Amino acid sequence: MSNSTLTAGTDTTAGWTRHVEDAPVAIAARHGLIAVAGAGGTAWILDARDGNPVATVTLPGGLLAADFSADGAHLALAGPAGHALWRREDGRFLVFETGTWSNAVRWSSGHGAATAADAPRLAIASGRRASVVDADGAQLWQIDPCPSTVTDVRWLRTGRRLAVAAYSGVYCYERHAGAPVAEYRYLGSHLHLAVDPAEKWLCSGNQDASIHIWRVRDGADLTMSGYPDKISRLAFEDTGRYLASDGAPDITVWDFSGKGPEGTRPRMLRAHETVTALAWRPGSEAILASSGVEGLLAVWRAASGRPGGRHRPAFEYEHAQPIAALAWSGPDLLVSAERSGTIRARSYPVS
Amino acid sequence: MTPTEQIDALGEERDTRVPVTVLTGFLGSGKTTLLNRILTEHHGMRIAVIENEFGEVGIDDALVVDAEEEIFEMNNGCICCTVRGDLIRILGALMRRRESFDRILIETTGLADPAPVAQTFFMDDEIASQLRLDAIITLADAAHILEHLDEVKPDGVENESVEQVAFADKIVLNKTDLVDEAQRHEVIRRLRAINALAEVLPARRADIDLAEVLDVHAFDLDRVLQNDPAFLTDTEHQHDSTVTSVGIDLPGELDQRKLDAWLSTLLRTRGADIFRSKGIVALAGSDRQYVFQGVHMLLEAENGREWRAQEARGNRLVFIGRNLDRAELNKSFAGCLAPARTAAKKAARRAAAGASA
Repeated sequence: MSNSTLTAGTDTTAGWTRHVEDAPVAIAARHGLIAVAGAGGTAWILDARDGNPVATVTLPGGLLAADFSADGAHLALAGPAGHALWRREDGRFLVFETGTWSNAVRWSSGHGAATAADAPRLAIASGRRASVVDADGAQLWQIDPCPSTVTDVRWLRTGRRLAVAAYSGVYCYERHAGAPVAEYRYLGSHLHLAVDPAEKWLCSGNQDASIHIWRVRDGADLTMSGYPDKISRLAFEDTGRYLASDGAPDITVWDFSGKGPEGTRPRMLRAHETVTALAWRPGSEAILASSGVEGLLAVWRAASGRPGGRHRPAFEYEHAQPIAALAWSGPDLLVSAERSGTIRARSYPVS
Repeated sequence: MTPTEQIDALGEERDTRVPVTVLTGFLGSGKTTLLNRILTEHHGMRIAVIENEFGEVGIDDALVVDAEEEIFEMNNGCICCTVRGDLIRILGALMRRRESFDRILIETTGLADPAPVAQTFFMDDEIASQLRLDAIITLADAAHILEHLDEVKPDGVENESVEQVAFADKIVLNKTDLVDEAQRHEVIRRLRAINALAEVLPARRADIDLAEVLDVHAFDLDRVLQNDPAFLTDTEHQHDSTVTSVGIDLPGELDQRKLDAWLSTLLRTRGADIFRSKGIVALAGSDRQYVFQGVHMLLEAENGREWRAQEARGNRLVFIGRNLDRAELNKSFAGCLAPARTAAKKAARRAAAGASA
């Protein structure tokens, strides 16, 4: 994680500001590096300590997503016109594919990497398929076409199983298995996936304004509906107890402790007109950062207060411009990207 | 689905949403010619194109994205409620680079169903808040459109060309130089019988004034329904197609609860057969017009402009659909009128409130 040298908790202005010449769409942060992905196709890699530029990488046709490998040595990019894998050491592209829409790229954790089977690998959504490459860019396997363009990919079992979201369900694949090893079916367009760290729950945000939740073990499922808007973003915090999502002016936080959220009431976090980004702070304190089109950046103690209640942020920062993306660079630095191209890094906690 | 308050096209404020034009029509109807004209003529607009039939369009400046029709059903209990997943995805990505274009053009394949395209603009709030569906433009080949309209499909399969005509806000009747006057007349008659709302623009090589198709504001109902009110009561047409337009033109003021119940029952029971609906009505007790429009079972309604001082309050509605019963629709709609006494009382209260203000 980040080696930020900024002093935490002493100065509310500690941090840095940079400007990029594009509309940011995503931020990836890992190993002291920050990549700001621009809608036009360029990713700016910045040093998390001071915001100084390290490199730029361009994928023609625009960007939608970016993900660093855990060691920060590789950056994967996804966009409307293709996907790429870039190595920082020599600035070379190991994978560079154009012509097919790519919605997501995701590295496996490569935890410990005791065996080759657990070495870090990259999942790439590419049109109706997803493929998996190793850190050298060599393709390990590819899945069969899904019923629609793949919207999201998530790793399970330390990179041995890949969950792929598309129309009508989430399909799980493993290497050397021709057909899905598990299918979680539910009619509708699944836009975004979240898996808790214990891999007990698989959750998808849906076009039809609902969250669908499956128990990974047996596929038992439930739907959380009644949101005003589609669910485009949802994320578990590090302990896996809380799931935060958009889909309404309120951010909804479900408690997954015990038997899960069925029959419980969520906490409602209200500060935004429309939520544009969510990012849990690394750690076990359930601290959530969020942003909105109105330009507000909010930080929440998401576990405080009672369920069913409506909560207010612990901290708020106002900006003139809508915020498009958020990321934590370690627990001490919160990075935000405004649509105008202004990138701000703030130390956390603030005094 | 009951009427909701969503649409804003009629407000006083300027609508800053990006206009979107949808171009439909069979292969060979002249879509490529029209698209090339739109992309190459000097109109000063930067246009992003979402295309799925041409593959290669020779343009340097335009932002072109390929689409493959991905139709998604929704879990909202509405059988005809489908959206285009590919468009949601592509439009979402385009809006992140909103500064690089002024308008969007969506070209659909000749076989594409226009309903999910239009419904996408109703169903997805993120899209509805940033983009405005300006018009659905259907190209028809004067020499071949009748064959397409008459083609009998197997049970349960839609005749796509009838649907494309039914959904159109404007119909470009192309290649009129290839048919004689009598056939041209017959084609126009058939098109009007299906869709009385759409203006038919005769053309030779898609040589129409681009302003006629690029800034239509077709979803600006006030304009559409006042353009040519005559058709509303026109019963002359020989309705040789099961898809027709039914207009209702009824003076007086409506009881909102009765209207809501009538519309919601109509769309719940007949929504699958009603392709488009539009209306401007007068509600008892309101100084503003009440406007609505719908695609199948989806309906958006809101208060429009204020009634003018000398303007007679009345109701104008149009339904374009399959097997519509004109007499029955007119009769049941008349049941929504507010009792004259209530209307008079409300008018008096309004006048009193106005006097004391």
